[in-house]
Amino acid sequence: MKWITRERPKIDRIACPWLIKNFLDKEASFFFVPPEQVLLKANEMNAIPFDISGVEYSHDGEFCTFDKIIKKHNITEPVLLKLAVIIRGADTDRFELARQSAGLWAISAGLSYNYKNDFEMLEIGMKIYDALYSWIKFVPDERHIWKEDLRV
Amino acid sequence: MKWITRERPKIDRIACPWLIKRFIDKDAEFVYVPFNEVILKAKELNAIPFDVPDVEFSHYGELCTFDYFIEKYKINDSAVRTMSVIIRGADTDRHDIASQSSGLWAISAGLSHNIKDDNQLLELGIILYDALYSWAKLLMKEKHTQNPIDNLLLQVFNKFLKQKSGLNRKTPPWAKELKEIIQDQIDTNLALSLKEISKNFDVHPSYLSREFSKYFENLSFGDYIRKLRIEKAIKLIHSSNHTLTEIAYLTGFSDQSHFTRIFKKHTGKNPSAFRKNVLKSKSDTKS
Repeated sequence: MKWITRERPKIDRIACPWLIKNFLDKEASFFFVPPEQVLLKANEMNAIPFDISGVEYSHDGEFCTFDKIIKKHNITEPVLLKLAVIIRGADTDRFELARQSAGLWAISAGLSYNYKNDFEMLEIGMKIYDALYSWIKFVPDERHIWKEDLRV
Repeated sequence: MKWITRERPKIDRIACPWLIKRFIDKDAEFVYVPFNEVILKAKELNAIPFDVPDVEFSHYGELCTFDYFIEKYKINDSAVRTMSVIIRGADTDRHDIASQSSGLWAISAGLSHNIKDDNQLLELGIILYDALYSWAKLLMKEKHTQNPIDNLLLQVFNKFLKQKSGLNRKTPPWAKELKEIIQDQIDTNLALSLKEISKNFDVHPSYLSREFSKYFENLSFGDYIRKLRIEKAIKLIHSSNHTLTEIAYLTGFSDQSHFTRIFKKHTGKNPSAFRKNVLKSKSDTKS
């Protein structure tokens, strides 16, 4: 399936493709276009528009598009539900939601500034979300302490 | 110059190479070896050991190796200083010292779990610290929400509505107006706000708001913007084959019923009735 959204992605428009590719449709392809062309091109290309106001896959109240996909597709994996809170916090400027949101925002904002090519941004972003997923799933309690670290 | 440290880097052993490459020696090379081989290999390779105990480039008290590099090479870049606190927090498990430390740690711990090749990890790490640097240098003040003032307004307004309905009073006209303005702000990406516009003209928003109607057909700012959008909708009904839903979207309304209501207020007709008339008059002229 094709998915289309606004260009210059930062958080939600990277995290959603990651979620879709890894958990809904590994063949999915993504397109980034200027905001005013999203709906038009979606029609033309038979692609699903997302993260733009007025479509199904979009923000809903305080929830972001990543939340919407999880809800709509009845995803219940606890790791993803935790990840959703971090992403929501970073995407909606509510860093109090999760301790990791502020750092995710800083890194994403910087990446977006450094990479003007949306697909390059997407490629790097995929690795960031792979990492956050692994952190929640495999090493959430790992501590990094200088002296202890050395004994390992 | 060659630098050598322990294998399986996470924070400091990625951040320091980044700092060296960007500020000290862009051709520097980095070698990762098991902990107990660092000193031996350092001699063999004529490399400088770092981030292991009992060498010069290492932790000192609460400070991590990244801090020491900054100190030693007198790096005065303010963005690097900002980063150093975040990095120290993530590297020494003191996530309270910078709000970005927890996120940096989570991403770094996850990357280290996913990528077992240290050089590959370094490559990605450089991208990560370049990003953090751009953020610290240029974007720190930036917020992601397109219009944070809208969110604030919305919160205040929702709170107000709740209180009002509890008291069961009639909504005063100003609140209705406020509601329309907020609705517009949510609907449109144009995000025209009096506040921003007044900033451009260097006048106070309340002055602009007061004076606006004198010069714009006696309409308030909100009414005037809505009028323009309805006029655009009428144009689209005349000239295109868009559905009414599409037209509502194209004129900045995300909610069909809101579009219908505003349209009727301005034209006296529902959009669908309006369109039927247009189609009829078109076929009349043809025949």
